[in-house]
Amino acid sequence: MNFTIRHAKSCDCEHIMRLIMELAVYENMSEQVKITSKELERDGFSNHSFFKCLVAEVPEEHQTKEGHTIVGYCLYFYTYSTWEGRVIYMEDLYVMPKFRGNGIGKAMMCRIAQIGRQSECARLQFNVLNWNKPSIEFYKSHGALDLTEKEGWHAMRFEVAAMEKLAQMTVATCATTTT
Amino acid sequence: MAKYILRKAEPKDVSDILRLIKELAKYEEMEDQVILTEKELLEDGFGDHPFYHCIVAEVPKEPQSIEGYTVVGFAMYYFTYDPWIGKLLYLEDFYVMKEYRGYGIGSEIFKKLSHTAVKTRCSGMHFIVAEWNTPSIEFYKRRGASDLSSQEGWRLFEIDKEFLVKMSKE
Repeated sequence: MNFTIRHAKSCDCEHIMRLIMELAVYENMSEQVKITSKELERDGFSNHSFFKCLVAEVPEEHQTKEGHTIVGYCLYFYTYSTWEGRVIYMEDLYVMPKFRGNGIGKAMMCRIAQIGRQSECARLQFNVLNWNKPSIEFYKSHGALDLTEKEGWHAMRFEVAAMEKLAQMTVATCATTTT
Repeated sequence: MAKYILRKAEPKDVSDILRLIKELAKYEEMEDQVILTEKELLEDGFGDHPFYHCIVAEVPKEPQSIEGYTVVGFAMYYFTYDPWIGKLLYLEDFYVMKEYRGYGIGSEIFKKLSHTAVKTRCSGMHFIVAEWNTPSIEFYKRRGASDLSSQEGWRLFEIDKEFLVKMSKE
């Protein structure tokens, strides 16, 4: 099946949002999706973007029964390692089930690797759920290492309520001035 | 202990930042994995497109550390994105020199980071911590952090340069 991988445009946001929801449903976490396509547009396609996105598109003759030609996406951004420097971080990689097996996921990941190398990134990082065996096998077959298993790294999070509480904490110190 | 200040890192701080990065890596028993240079830190943090932001903790010249340092702690962070909830503040490194712990410097840095996250409308503050690092895990959990690896099963994966180069040619 022919397909193209290209950089997303702001007009693709509704489709990216559709696919974000599909991936969240697959991960059994759809109730955690709070963002709208408008916010996605603001955050990814304005002067200061917080992420970049690739989309996978098929020709019209292969469109889905709802008439969609955008069948996959890969949302990424740059992070930084104090050990090695620039890192490219793949936040989401998703291809609609009906279009899997055609090399679309691999093509998007290879494109990310190219982009990462062009930007002099030392590594590609991402998170995968421990039960997601097909994805884990896919990534391991391309040289990925499970750092949680190998080195014991755990992902941690402060949610908004905890952050606001922390921001207002009075810290008893000898004397501080903050700039 | 005498006063200390927290301020935004400046280009002149890269040598101290790298020193503290190496001290933290040594504590994590991964010192030999630090290959970042001062030149890269300078270009990547203070160039046209900063890849990170940094806060440093500085003490006045008099109570400087045994070796004569005045920059005694740092936190490096950047902004990431969660397609479910939006912008996040990601804490990459957070470290205070051993002889300066117990005075609230770490807590004050954390407070400032949280304030930055709230002010910039971040939906969360994320970071990773090694599972054997019990003092740090307790510090974070006391402040309301959840362990996503334990709770939700997230595992951190990485593809290093060798395989990245291979994939980029496919």
